[in-house]
Amino acid sequence: MNARASHTILAAAAILVLVLIGVQAVDPVLYAAKNISTAAHVDPATIQKRSIGDAASLVPLMDDLLGQTGTLALTIKLKDYESAERDLARYNELSRRFDRLVVTLDVSGTNIGEFQQNNRQNQDALTALLNDTRQFDALQRLEIEVRGDDEQHMTVVYEGEALRQKMRESFSAYAKREAATVRIAEHYDINATPYQESVDHFAEVADAANGWQEEINGNGTGPAQSPLVIAVTPVEGSYGDVLLIGGVHAGGRPGTPIDIYVDSRLAATAALDDDRAYVHPYQVGRILAGPHLAYATAGTIYSNVAAFEVLPQNTSITLALAEVNGTTVACTGNLTTDDARPVTQAPVLIRVDGDTLVAAETDGNGTYRKDIPLPAGEHALRAEFHAAGYPLNASESPTEIATLRGEGLSPFPFAAAIAAAAGTGWYLRRRRPEENTPAAEPEATPPPEAARPAPQVSIAGLPPREAATVLFCALRARLNLPKTKTPRDCARIAPAYAVFFERYERIRYAGETPSEEELMDMERIALGGDADRA
Amino acid sequence: MQIEREAWAVLLILLLAAAVAYAHVTTTTEEYSRYNTGWNGTSALPAEEVRDLRNLDTAATLLILAPDRPFTAEEVGYLRTFLDAGGRVVIADEQGAANSLLADLGSTMRVRPGNLSSLERDRADPGIFAARVVGNTSLFAGVGTVLVNRPAAVTGGEPLLETAALTWEDADGDGRISGDEVFGTAVTCAAEGNLTVLGDESLFINAMLAENPQFIENIQPVQVDRIHSGTGTANPIVNTRLWIQETPPAAAAVAALAILPVAWHFGRKRDD
Repeated sequence: MNARASHTILAAAAILVLVLIGVQAVDPVLYAAKNISTAAHVDPATIQKRSIGDAASLVPLMDDLLGQTGTLALTIKLKDYESAERDLARYNELSRRFDRLVVTLDVSGTNIGEFQQNNRQNQDALTALLNDTRQFDALQRLEIEVRGDDEQHMTVVYEGEALRQKMRESFSAYAKREAATVRIAEHYDINATPYQESVDHFAEVADAANGWQEEINGNGTGPAQSPLVIAVTPVEGSYGDVLLIGGVHAGGRPGTPIDIYVDSRLAATAALDDDRAYVHPYQVGRILAGPHLAYATAGTIYSNVAAFEVLPQNTSITLALAEVNGTTVACTGNLTTDDARPVTQAPVLIRVDGDTLVAAETDGNGTYRKDIPLPAGEHALRAEFHAAGYPLNASESPTEIATLRGEGLSPFPFAAAIAAAAGTGWYLRRRRPEENTPAAEPEATPPPEAARPAPQVSIAGLPPREAATVLFCALRARLNLPKTKTPRDCARIAPAYAVFFERYERIRYAGETPSEEELMDMERIALGGDADRA
Repeated sequence: MQIEREAWAVLLILLLAAAVAYAHVTTTTEEYSRYNTGWNGTSALPAEEVRDLRNLDTAATLLILAPDRPFTAEEVGYLRTFLDAGGRVVIADEQGAANSLLADLGSTMRVRPGNLSSLERDRADPGIFAARVVGNTSLFAGVGTVLVNRPAAVTGGEPLLETAALTWEDADGDGRISGDEVFGTAVTCAAEGNLTVLGDESLFINAMLAENPQFIENIQPVQVDRIHSGTGTANPIVNTRLWIQETPPAAAAVAALAILPVAWHFGRKRDD
């Protein structure tokens, strides 16, 4: 097989292999990790592993929460306040863990989210029950002590009446959640008995308050008609609505300060006007949905108790993305109620790629903005409002996709490339005169005419190619050429000996072997017997 | 000497190219195919293929994997005979294609097509999660949990595998519980006597074999129903090769085609 044929076959084989690879390159399904999932399954080797811990503890935590309500309500009923404080602290801790899990696992839209809402309200109700029961106990003791003092007695009785009504309302709301909570518990095979018992305990505590009030009324020591009257109009409202809490104080003088309490907490202080009337515009804000109580005091005079209800409302949240730079995306949006009222100073969570949560807050217009640094690539973002403590239902925005380019290209490779190019240019420029201007060479290298005397060399017994090398070195030394010069350099510098150097170049680099005659000719030239110089 | 080296190099390249070409044309990317060596094939499943349901070996489990063809009344009769003789049948189906066969066999079990997902998982994909073994059967002897891969629910029968409470049917396929989707446990494998229905065909694909080694070992020896299972291929080259292997005259003809040139070459040399 000659060289041409073998090269042709090699080229054909190479083309064949390239074609085979090329076909796969167009559709590399078999060998690439592109196809890693189908409708029926996903390649487990390509799916990232993670800890199972969080999700597995969700249902047991629900079980613990329901169990805790039973224990807490029982200790309140037994007036074991020390134990009740401990149980409440434990209940609050469990609730916090549960809330975090619900958000982290993104299940607020499920019946677990409903359970969470109910649990929050139960948590508030049981906390209030503990405080109210304790306060009621104190009032009962005080009522006995002040029986001789009509004014103080009246104050105690009014406070007791406010508390009693509040406990009744609170119990009514607590009992209303029972059916839904038990249904969810049964769905997850959770024992709801302790929770159902807590409803019974709550009822007993509220009944006890009723009993005491009836006892006072039966004794003729109940609240008489107060000169301070309070009313709430309208008697129900939603988030952002303004309810007017006001009334008259028949025995008061214009300018007398009237303290207005909502759920036993001071909400505002109003002054009596010339008509002995007072009014406070109460805006429904961060307060739980459900019944609430209001009463007013003017010094030691207590008003009657007025009830009002806060109605729940749906919300909607938007999310818009804008790229700030290659690594940061700006998330903006609005949180509004169903009737387009902005929800202000409310916490908003932005969920990034399903699990990372970034917190933001709405301003006075219900608008939020958060700049989030992200790695390059595609990211799914969604805004969520969890409505904790608001008379509002949770909402979430549609998922938006942000595509980030990442940081710009580093300037260092470019600088390095420019430096390398400059260095190469400098090197070539420095080398070119040496190569291209042989006329200047004689200054550095003596002309061949000024050759030294022939050196003493012997090639006897050497292999032909080594002998040629010895002769080349001898001629180069005789012509006073630097040792760094290659045969081709030498041929250019000393064109008179070009034939010698070109022949040696073929011997040296093309692997040719000189014949005896050629060696003799070369020896003659190298040693100076070169009248015709090749 | 140099030319000889080049000839060897050419030969080697040609052999490599031929090997690549052969590997390429005799494999496929079809789901569940025994000729798919990729992650979603079943080439690595240690199993024998059967084409005839008449004389099945009762010592081996009959696996009907991803069925895609209906069973005739005659074939249902063979299966019933096999079951009555003590043979074990495992039907792995996610699409509900086996429901008519189950009805014909008199079983109350059904596959409810769907895509179960779970929050209680140790992988990022909600479709890959562990199901608890809740039934007592040799199929899951020594197995506590089975890693399932986008399974479907099975109704009826005695439950053998059950998911955790935070599992849902991801009807919209968005990977999260939303809309009307609700959490709840689901059965992914059930049995009635020797008949077992598994709502996850994926347990037998190459990529899943290493995830449930004990289960794969327990099910051995296995014979796969090649006629009704989705383990075949539409690749004409593979099917031609199989036809040659299974048809003695064709195999003999191919052998002759291979031997004849060699014989002719040697015969010619002797004449010289």
